[in-house]
Amino acid sequence: MSDTLEQVVVLGSKSGLHARPAAIFVQKAKEFRSAVTLSKGGKTANARSILSVLSLGGEQGDSVLLKVSGEDAWTAMDALVNLLEKDLG
Amino acid sequence: MKILSGIPAAPGLVIGRAHVVRPVPAVDVHARHAGSSEQEKERLEQAIARAVARLDTLRGKANGATAEILVAQREMLDDPELKQGAYELIDTGLAAEAAVTRVAAGYAEQLASLPDAYLAERAEDVREAGRNIVAELRGVSSTVRLEQPAILVARDLAPAETVELDGGLLLGVITAEGSATGHLAIVAQGLDIPAVVGVAGVLKQIEEGTEVIVDGERGMITIAPDAASKAEAEAAIATAQRDRQDLESYRERPGVTADGVRIEVFANIASLAEARKAVEMGAEGVGLFRTELLAAQGLPSEEEQYEIYREVATVLGRPLVVRTFDIGGDKTVPGLDIPPEGNPFLGWRGIRLALDRSQELFLPQVRALLRVSVDHDIRVMLPMVVLPAEVEQARALIEQAKRDLERDGYRAGHVSLGIMVETPAAALTLDRFRGLIDFASIGTNDLVQYTYAVDRTNARVKERAQPLGDAILRLVERVGQTDMPVAVCGQLAGESEAIPLLVGLGVRRLSVAPARVPAVKRLLAGMTLAEMQAKAREALG
Repeated sequence: MSDTLEQVVVLGSKSGLHARPAAIFVQKAKEFRSAVTLSKGGKTANARSILSVLSLGGEQGDSVLLKVSGEDAWTAMDALVNLLEKDLG
Repeated sequence: MKILSGIPAAPGLVIGRAHVVRPVPAVDVHARHAGSSEQEKERLEQAIARAVARLDTLRGKANGATAEILVAQREMLDDPELKQGAYELIDTGLAAEAAVTRVAAGYAEQLASLPDAYLAERAEDVREAGRNIVAELRGVSSTVRLEQPAILVARDLAPAETVELDGGLLLGVITAEGSATGHLAIVAQGLDIPAVVGVAGVLKQIEEGTEVIVDGERGMITIAPDAASKAEAEAAIATAQRDRQDLESYRERPGVTADGVRIEVFANIASLAEARKAVEMGAEGVGLFRTELLAAQGLPSEEEQYEIYREVATVLGRPLVVRTFDIGGDKTVPGLDIPPEGNPFLGWRGIRLALDRSQELFLPQVRALLRVSVDHDIRVMLPMVVLPAEVEQARALIEQAKRDLERDGYRAGHVSLGIMVETPAAALTLDRFRGLIDFASIGTNDLVQYTYAVDRTNARVKERAQPLGDAILRLVERVGQTDMPVAVCGQLAGESEAIPLLVGLGVRRLSVAPARVPAVKRLLAGMTLAEMQAKAREALG
């Protein structure tokens, strides 16, 4: 059974969604079967694509909307929220 | 001869022959494919797979900052949106090279338009990912390899291109583009080679094999230098090298003044890595091990602390002064519930907190240290002491820890005990601690803050704090007059203007950042004690 979950997350990394935190996030998103998107300021990014994640220009303290849809949505949401809230540098 | 200027990216001076990396021919973004779209997509897919595989191999060889940048680069090569975008263009008839270049350029423009300067710089990384895929489509490698010692001259160097370069053949780097904070600057600094970036038009000015001088300090390059400039550069290089060797020779010497008075030069550390560095730089011991940094993720248990202290002491094989947890003030610990205070720097911090909550803080730490001291020279130093009664209480707890350890079947060694002198109270009454302590160490950063009542992070008032002002010198003089071994472990201990004054006032041990150890020893060896005392008297007025 597939779920669609949404949650607003405040970015925890000092550098926001810079290359390193973004790469870590994208790698994590790829571990799940669920489709994951990240939205900020009217732009929506495919979480498996570092190029679209970087294009959001997320900075520390920004609120982003994380949307997860698929059979492993609950575990994916949990893991990804955790990662976004953490300071990855 | 021609002199060009750019941005200094990594210091150093070097003369060598240029190896010029010319940019590959530009991609025709209107080129169309001849076969079917499916075949063209297949070509692209395979090229991406090869580019990813190549990067993975490089990543294995890369280290630190480079490896981190390469992780992001790998994700870019393998980006599903990049591939999808290129597929769509291939469907319209464009060749794979043209398609991937266009899509990468599109993302690069998006990133470049972001207000965040760092992200805007990543635009170049995206173009680089595109170029790497194009290189694979064309069947050429984009990695630079040197056959003989050379100065590399390029438009810019991508992270992946620099990985194969740390073979000792790379003498220096000159690029036409790039910035002082770019990846190349970081790599060059890590390799300790000079680099000048952003030298506009440099590729047109230099031929393969031309002799070049790279001055990474001033950001200048001299192409085909004449005899005079070459001689000047060679002399400067020789001087710099002599200076380095000279400094090097002080590493393993003991710290002494010109007239042979022994001044121990110790190091300040906060980790095992820094302990190794301290040994490498020739520190005669560790004068300050800041243990509170071990508690950044929460308080470590007695057993965890025992392991860390034992490992550090073993690596050192020389005296280790451990400052007990200096928590509170601006340093908090997760899991340790410290109520917020209106005035944390004058509040429940250092020894005050450690003694009041000895079961959690002081006793486990002391037990771990006593156990390590069976085999190693461990000295315990108490932070933020203002009253002799605090030391009495600490001593009683240490005795209790010894008894408990023996009861629990552990062996406990002997630790000598000292205090940090970082308040005027401790400095003015150090004689009252006689018999209670074996040594004292002045923590200049806090002593300056508490003496001048100035928060050094407050830009409005920080100018009022004078690390070498009369008030501090008089306090140091007072401390130096006590018949007790006195050290300085604050920032001042490593500063050239401060050292003669401190030693002249009676300080006999300096504890400094590991990298400063050889320079401090050299400075000490250049003056007699009498000269330092004269300087101190003059400064005291």
